Amino acid sequence: MTETLVPQAPVSTAEIAPHRPTDWRSHAMERRIRRRYTAERRFRLLGLGAVVVSAACLAFLLIVMIAQGYQGFVETRLTLPLDLRDLRLERSPERLKGPGADLALAGAGLERAVDAAANRAYEAEGGAALLSDGAWLRVRDAIKHDPRLLTHPFTLALPVASAIDVAAKGNGTPAAERSVAKLGAHLSCGAAWDFFTGADSTDAARAGIWGALKGSLLTMVVTLALAFPVGVLSAIYLEEYAPRNRATDFIEVSINNLAAVPSIVFGLLGLAVFLGTLHLPRSAPLVGGLTLALMTMPVIVIASRNAIRAVPPSIRDAALAVGASPIQVVSHHVLPLAAPGILTGTIIGMARALGETAPLLMIGMRAFIAAPPAGFTDSATALPVQIFLWSDQVSRGFVEKTSAAILVLLVFLVAMNGVAIFLRNRFETRW
Amino acid sequence: MSNNPPKMTASHVDVSYGTNHAIRDVSIDVYREDVTAFIGPSGCGKSTFLRSLNRMNDTIPTARVSGDIRLDGEDIYAREMDVVQLRARVGMVFQKPNPFPKSIYENVAYGPKIHGLAQSKGELDRIVERSLTRAGLWNEVKDRLSDPGTALSGGQQQRLCIARAIAVDPEVILMDEPCSALDPVATARIEELIHDLRGRYAIVIVTHNMQQAARVSQRTAFFHLGQLIEYGDTSDIFTNPRQERTKDYITGRYG
Ligand SMILES: Nc1ncnc2c1ncn2[C@@H]1O[C@H](COP(=O)(O)OP(=O)(O)O)[C@@H](O)[C@H]1O
Ligand SMILES: [Mg+2]
Repeated sequence: MTETLVPQAPVSTAEIAPHRPTDWRSHAMERRIRRRYTAERRFRLLGLGAVVVSAACLAFLLIVMIAQGYQGFVETRLTLPLDLRDLRLERSPERLKGPGADLALAGAGLERAVDAAANRAYEAEGGAALLSDGAWLRVRDAIKHDPRLLTHPFTLALPVASAIDVAAKGNGTPAAERSVAKLGAHLSCGAAWDFFTGADSTDAARAGIWGALKGSLLTMVVTLALAFPVGVLSAIYLEEYAPRNRATDFIEVSINNLAAVPSIVFGLLGLAVFLGTLHLPRSAPLVGGLTLALMTMPVIVIASRNAIRAVPPSIRDAALAVGASPIQVVSHHVLPLAAPGILTGTIIGMARALGETAPLLMIGMRAFIAAPPAGFTDSATALPVQIFLWSDQVSRGFVEKTSAAILVLLVFLVAMNGVAIFLRNRFETRW
Repeated sequence: MSNNPPKMTASHVDVSYGTNHAIRDVSIDVYREDVTAFIGPSGCGKSTFLRSLNRMNDTIPTARVSGDIRLDGEDIYAREMDVVQLRARVGMVFQKPNPFPKSIYENVAYGPKIHGLAQSKGELDRIVERSLTRAGLWNEVKDRLSDPGTALSGGQQQRLCIARAIAVDPEVILMDEPCSALDPVATARIEELIHDLRGRYAIVIVTHNMQQAARVSQRTAFFHLGQLIEYGDTSDIFTNPRQERTKDYITGRYG
């Protein structure tokens, strides 16, 4: 036998102990596999169930709102034959142009003429009471549009009184429903443009949301102008400059807490500080905006800090290493990369502020205001507050107005969130 | 070794992160004509020491540097030293390629722009072209300068980062394991590049790859546990180390 230099494998009894291969087809294995599949199926069904429930809630809400609200965008009109030839009015066309026209037509007794025409045409059904208080304004606008109407008989579809309107939509009092039945084909439907251009009114048929919408927009302008710069600058300072110590830890905790404070508390704060101490005008978009800015600022700070923190340190290093100053690092590199996140957070914060009601109630933006605010210090109300006020009204005509206003608010909120999602998907860099 | 005065001198440098004493009493001279390599096992403080040469450690709140580091005889930790200018004079290339998420052109043009090195667009174009050429990247990217720098391959990105560092015309370039994230072909290109750049800039390169240190450097410093064990001509260190620990490390007994 020749000896080999290759060492022999050591032989021991321990090593040749029989190795039984795993039986992947055993009964226990198969049961384990079956159990795994069931667990997975169960989990998937649970998840699907959760999604279905939330989607159903949302769908229910939307369907109810749209079903009730769409009628707010529709008005019932009554066809009225009119003959204005004996209106005492100088028929020179110049009188019907420019700012004097409204006065001239009102002075000539147009309102009375319209009422008289209604009384004549529909005496049995209720006459002038069938028409909305503002119906004659439509006649006025039609005449301004076409002055020849003054010299020819014509017919015009005019908005009806709230009670008739509600009845025509199938929800009125028995008396009003009888009137509707008698009027029959003289009634028609049309888009209620006045809803978008009018302000609040005690008459549901004339109440519009433009006053509240404008109040909301003015309020949002103030909120954005204050909360955005202050929020973003604080976030930059805290992330990029502030030393890590007890003081900044405390500030961080405070900001997080502030974001969780119930909104009505901000209302109280606004009441005490802006109205009580600073004596700013009550019910004004300025004060509403300041109050909502207090509430929105922490949201913007937190979103901005997260966005800034998500910018990888390697980019900062790269900029520093070619000799960028700290401000250049922030403005040339960090902010552009964090911008989508900052804007998304800001829009979501603003959307929350837009839907906020309680703090605005506290600072008096709940008054009945029949004219849209002209400026930041005028008395105003806001869209969600208007919804709240209308929902409190006894008159039936306000039910649909309330739903219609909610739909308008929802459209704004969905649009804002849509923009936020678009920004996030389109511009956010992933690392 | 040369007779010229050293470009940078570090004497008795200590760096600590809070209570972690990462660098102890390190003294090194860096010469303009040479490529200096820092080698040593992971965690021995090579990056820490490198970052103290352009004060990148200032960005770490816990880091404390003591000792004396001079660039052309000027104390870089002195109060009157402007750290922003210092970092333009002592450029840096990082372990992971980190181009800005901007165009290739913007990546290179950024430094000259913020330091006002170009009076006109034409001059800026020339700086960009020259830097990319020196970084050996010009021919590959000249037709797509407006493409994002992040769309390049890893090796190209690293050369773009080198071009970005060169563009501000630094005196020293610090490279922290510039090839550790690259494949062998890209690594070879960077090594060639370092060879070409030698003499124009003082180059300090950290590497955990001993062959690389032997190939690209003229002087080598061996670090161990935060201390400088041996520093000398690369040929001496690799053929005839004076310290037992250096020899053990180079022959692969640990690391
Ligand atoms: N930013 C930091 N903060 C705290 N300690 C650090 C930091 N960077 C490095 N260190 C510590 O300093 C020591 C040296 O690290 P480093 O310089 O990265 O080593 P090397 O580059 O040689 O691998 C290590 O102990 C590491 O844990
Ligand atoms: Mg390192």
